[in-house]
Amino acid sequence: MRDTLWLIRKTLISTFKTYKNWLFYLGLPLLAILLAIMTRGHSEDVRVNIGIVNEDGKQAITLDTIAFIGGMHSTNLVELPKEEADEQIIAGDLDAALIFPAGFSQTVKSGNPESVRIVSVKGTEASDYVKANLNRYIDNMTLISKAAGGSESKFDRLYAEYKASDFPLSAETLQDRSAGHAQAYQSIGYLAVLMLFAAGNLSGILLKERENRTYRRIMASPVSARSYVSSNIIVNLAVIVAQVALTLGVMTQIFGVKPGLPLGVAFFLLCLYALVAVSLSLAVAAFAKSSMEAGALQQMLFFPTSLLAGCMFPIAAMPQAMQSIAYFLPQYWLLEAFGKLQLGVALAEVIPSVLILVSFAIFFSLTAVYKFGRNQDARSFI
Amino acid sequence: MNILEIDRLSKTFGDFVAVDQVSLSIGEGEIFGFLGANGAGKSTTIHMIASLLRISKGEIRLLGKDITKHANFAKKNIGIVPQEIAIYEDMTAYENVRFFAGLYGIRGSELKERTLEALEFVGLGDKHAVYPKHFSGGMKRRLNIACAIAHRPKLLIMDEPTVGIDPQSRNHILNSVKKLNEMGCTILYTSHYMEEVEEICTRIAIIDHGKIIAQGTKKELKAIVTDQKNIWIEVRSTENADPGKLREIAGVKQVEIEDRVIKFTSDAGVNNLNKMIQQLMADEIEIRSVEEQEPNLESVFLTLTGRSLRD
Repeated sequence: MRDTLWLIRKTLISTFKTYKNWLFYLGLPLLAILLAIMTRGHSEDVRVNIGIVNEDGKQAITLDTIAFIGGMHSTNLVELPKEEADEQIIAGDLDAALIFPAGFSQTVKSGNPESVRIVSVKGTEASDYVKANLNRYIDNMTLISKAAGGSESKFDRLYAEYKASDFPLSAETLQDRSAGHAQAYQSIGYLAVLMLFAAGNLSGILLKERENRTYRRIMASPVSARSYVSSNIIVNLAVIVAQVALTLGVMTQIFGVKPGLPLGVAFFLLCLYALVAVSLSLAVAAFAKSSMEAGALQQMLFFPTSLLAGCMFPIAAMPQAMQSIAYFLPQYWLLEAFGKLQLGVALAEVIPSVLILVSFAIFFSLTAVYKFGRNQDARSFI
Repeated sequence: MNILEIDRLSKTFGDFVAVDQVSLSIGEGEIFGFLGANGAGKSTTIHMIASLLRISKGEIRLLGKDITKHANFAKKNIGIVPQEIAIYEDMTAYENVRFFAGLYGIRGSELKERTLEALEFVGLGDKHAVYPKHFSGGMKRRLNIACAIAHRPKLLIMDEPTVGIDPQSRNHILNSVKKLNEMGCTILYTSHYMEEVEEICTRIAIIDHGKIIAQGTKKELKAIVTDQKNIWIEVRSTENADPGKLREIAGVKQVEIEDRVIKFTSDAGVNNLNKMIQQLMADEIEIRSVEEQEPNLESVFLTLTGRSLRD
């Protein structure tokens, strides 16, 4: 243990001797929060821009439904053709588009409404609000249709009464936290990428010491190979956990961004992800023959997978086939758990994501141990 | 008393036998030279002594204890100066020595004292706060040594410690080796430079193709080649020299031409100096001096292995 502490001390001192490493390990996460705040907007006057593609023409039910959406709080509505809607969504001018298919009105009257398609590249945050209200409205009409028992005249009468009815409504203004949640979510996305690179950099010390032959000197001393590798893992985890604590602390206490879930839970999830990052970085170090090769492997692995997992922008912006790849990436399961908890689900509902993250950590650790064991150059590490 | 005893030591990598049944012993207080060409098995043997490689067969005992069974004891009593400079460029000379000495469990004021002492010993006392990137090759080599001696090992293994350095640093290192030895440290020394080994080593072993082919004192080794003599003839120009004709002279075993010196290796019992001179004169080669060389380790090595140490 004394040996391990001595090695930890040395690694920490030489790592934090240079200001570049301070910036890399602790400064970049703070920049990431700033970037997330700037890119994910402010909580005041958050409006959802909705495009309407009406393929059902001047049908009363369709027009009423469109009017209902238009009357929703914080929505801007614009009717336009399908092609134009696609272009505006890609350009980011629209948050979502609703496509009312031809015959929609008729299918509602028959009690079996055809789905209204929702197209969005901004993910559930943009579409969920509209979707929830739209479903409620269509459900009401479906119930009317069922009550009419297939009679169109009865439906028209009941529908007219429904439109004319008065509902007692008391309104209370709640604070809109969606922007804060989006900022926190994005900060975690960026942090997930930075954690991978930080872990990769620290595991790279093993390779650098192999290259400058100092590891042979260490191995020739009474320090065991296990102590040597353990010290690297401990430093790696300590630095990343510090990164997590700093990010969460600054995000909530200085920038006032509310993560949308208890801080302790967020910290736990990120610490679990830290284990994944460290084990993955060790696996990369085990496969690489030099620190240069490890660096190239990290660039090839960490950045593209983070993009695919939705760390930089919502995965809904990608084609469906690419979105499926995200299920195989640990970053996705971190964000999935984080996102679900922000929506207020019970902790039990994110247990599958937690178990998947644990499985990733175990898989990468075993891969690293196996590869180190088979690598003649690094056999003395294990 | 022997500090190190190696008994029928072997190391194989797959089918390749790198070290084959090596046996040798080093007495306390010796400077033991370990000679061999590249790939002869020197470094493999050294790495096994330093517990950096597993032993395939045989036994190594340090102060009577099997190093496999008492690895920590062995590691604490051995210091290794690797052939390649093994230091941290981002740590000062002081931090480097302190870190490596600390690996041996030394702490506190004792650690500080030994670190400064080691740096002083290699002549870097005034450079303790300097980063190695500002050092010359020779200074880095000296720091490489300081990192290996701060824990005061009983056996110091020095693997080619003077490769690629200036004469001043080389002299400093050789003097340090002698001084360390006087202070009671036993030294296992490998080098490509025969003159260094000849100057500082008390006993020498020669390894070739993984096997020890000779060992003993310098005198004992040189006795192996007493049936030979080395005659060096300095000439004005070797342009007309014909090694083929010179080799035909009775008793001559080998002829080497280096710059303006023709080196003959000949049977000691044949008096053939006249014939050598006659042949050179016949080839119109102007002779400047003639010298009979004492046998040296180079000639011993050449005789035993059939090649020069630097081949």
